[in-house]
Amino acid sequence: MDGIYEGITTALTTYNILMVSIGCFAGTFIGMLPGLGPISAIALMIPITYGMEPSSGLILIAGVYYGAIFGGSTSSILINAPGVAGTVATSFDGYPLAKKGYAGKALAIAAYSSFTGGTIAAVFLLFAAPALAKVSLSFQSSDYFALMVLGLTAVAAFAGKGKFLKAAIMTILGLMLATVGTDADSGVSRYTFGNLDLIDGISFLLLAMAAFALSEALMNVIENKKMSKEEKEALNKDIGNLTVTKEEFKEMAPVVGRSSVLGFFVGVLPGAGATIASFLAYGMERSLSSVKDKLMFGKGSIKGLAAPESANNAACSGSFVPLLTLGIPGSGTTAVILGALISYGIQPGPTMYTEQPALFWSVIVSMYIGNIVLLVLNLPLIPYIAKLLAMPKQLLTPLVIFFSLIGVYLVTFNTFDIYMMVIFSVIAVGLRLIDFPMAPMILGFILGGMMENNLRRALTISDGSLNFLWERPITATILVITILMLISPLISQFFSAKIKEEDR
Amino acid sequence: MTKTRVGSLFFLVFSTIYLYQSFNIHLLPGSHYEAMTAKTFPYYLGVMGIIVSSLMLLFSYIKVDTEDMFNWEKLKTFDFKKGTYFVIAMLFYGFTIRTLGFIIATIIFLIIGFRILDEKNWKVILFTAFGVSIIFWFLLTQILGVYIEQGMIFDYLIGVQS
Repeated sequence: MDGIYEGITTALTTYNILMVSIGCFAGTFIGMLPGLGPISAIALMIPITYGMEPSSGLILIAGVYYGAIFGGSTSSILINAPGVAGTVATSFDGYPLAKKGYAGKALAIAAYSSFTGGTIAAVFLLFAAPALAKVSLSFQSSDYFALMVLGLTAVAAFAGKGKFLKAAIMTILGLMLATVGTDADSGVSRYTFGNLDLIDGISFLLLAMAAFALSEALMNVIENKKMSKEEKEALNKDIGNLTVTKEEFKEMAPVVGRSSVLGFFVGVLPGAGATIASFLAYGMERSLSSVKDKLMFGKGSIKGLAAPESANNAACSGSFVPLLTLGIPGSGTTAVILGALISYGIQPGPTMYTEQPALFWSVIVSMYIGNIVLLVLNLPLIPYIAKLLAMPKQLLTPLVIFFSLIGVYLVTFNTFDIYMMVIFSVIAVGLRLIDFPMAPMILGFILGGMMENNLRRALTISDGSLNFLWERPITATILVITILMLISPLISQFFSAKIKEEDR
Repeated sequence: MTKTRVGSLFFLVFSTIYLYQSFNIHLLPGSHYEAMTAKTFPYYLGVMGIIVSSLMLLFSYIKVDTEDMFNWEKLKTFDFKKGTYFVIAMLFYGFTIRTLGFIIATIIFLIIGFRILDEKNWKVILFTAFGVSIIFWFLLTQILGVYIEQGMIFDYLIGVQS
């Protein structure tokens, strides 16, 4: 209880409330820009947080995360250009509603659903995180190693149809890049090729910035997409009334409740996240709806808008559970947050809950404050923030590139980092062009060092034998789940082929 | 040639080089007796990389997905020239930031960036480039207390500030 009280008092200081508000605003703006997602938004803000207290820094980052998702919804609804993958499902019904002249209503529904989703998930987090943290105190290095294998496999497994191997190889690439530099155990340098600038390894911020913010900005340059006339008109149009009627609230309530719970649990799962949660919630609501309501989906259904919006926000909170309690991120976004935490000198995990309760709880409380900020401050300001979307791209893109480069440079003051960033961003653009996902790479990179350390510890304890993989029931269970996850696409393919055969 | 095939070939070559280089990691005397050395993890990663990229290559021949084919029409619309100019501008920024100093290098970089993207209004270009550079420099050095080198050229012209 003391921890919760400490967390609340930390989160409610004027400075931290200011940080969460700034984070929500900055996140909303960056999330609105097509092409720039929450990972880029967070990566761009990390250099600013280096001079802050860890709790304030993390609170700011959490605000950015929420803001980016909210911003993504705004561009999905207003111009049918989701800035974030997690808000693609929002555009299915949000944009048709806006086209009918109800943009304000659609934005308000999205904001209320997000707020409720975030609130329900924050309450769940309040109970789930400490419970899991207590359980995970008994975890050993072998269990952690197995959990990391599960997390990385899940990211590949949830990557989408036909993308499993692509995500898997990107995870391996991330793990490979993590081995560059001095080996933490023996002090031996690896893959440095005699270059002193590589002795400390590759900085996570550099890699995140190059793979996301910089490469996304470069893709914008290459794609040379101009804002269409229709999009410009949509932005200049009055968004209309923001009020939602009592009947509409009644229609939304059960949808939001169901989707929030679903979103939270999907968010907790490693590898799944806001995107999968929003699509699942949309699908679930569609199948639960009456025939008449079903016809409205895709044409401006309130249910179709409320479901993904509440689910994606709940999933964002849910994804903090494995991060805060196990120290293992389940998504690219939480991987970047983990990287930031490590650079503050904090190792998230069960010990964080016991040793730094103020930080642990302040993050959870600030998520709730973030939701309030989004609802109370951002929603009324949306018409003005949306105008920023009309800012010419020829001015915005060079600025994003400048902030990416300088953000990394200011940490080390080493121009080698700028050169390395440019090289990585060019490779990232190449990989984007051939549809290789970036998030598994950053997840592999962040987990690489931890994974090797835990494997080393487990092997040393078991005297070099691989027995540790099946000696402890927890380790064995996690690895069995991993194997099931690996072969599940094959099994489902086999069964669907059989069903097709029987149908013939 | 499909996208997956290009990617898998790239990763196959990369993983092979990575694996080969793992044998060049110099271990400390006696570390051979340890359960896991600095070579172990990279070795397994290299092997896994080769296996996964080979599987990807193999599957790209067994099943060709139309979505996986290069869309040449779309690629033709991409402006790789502008992208290349930007890459050069970024490298140039890396080169100038220490020699010309933060403010001048940033102004030049932003002006080049705006021009690459066809911004024609010089008033806007100069106002934004000067404004962003100076405000950002002021924020960093005067408010956040971050030390930024004045630039080698200033060291040469007016001497090193202590």
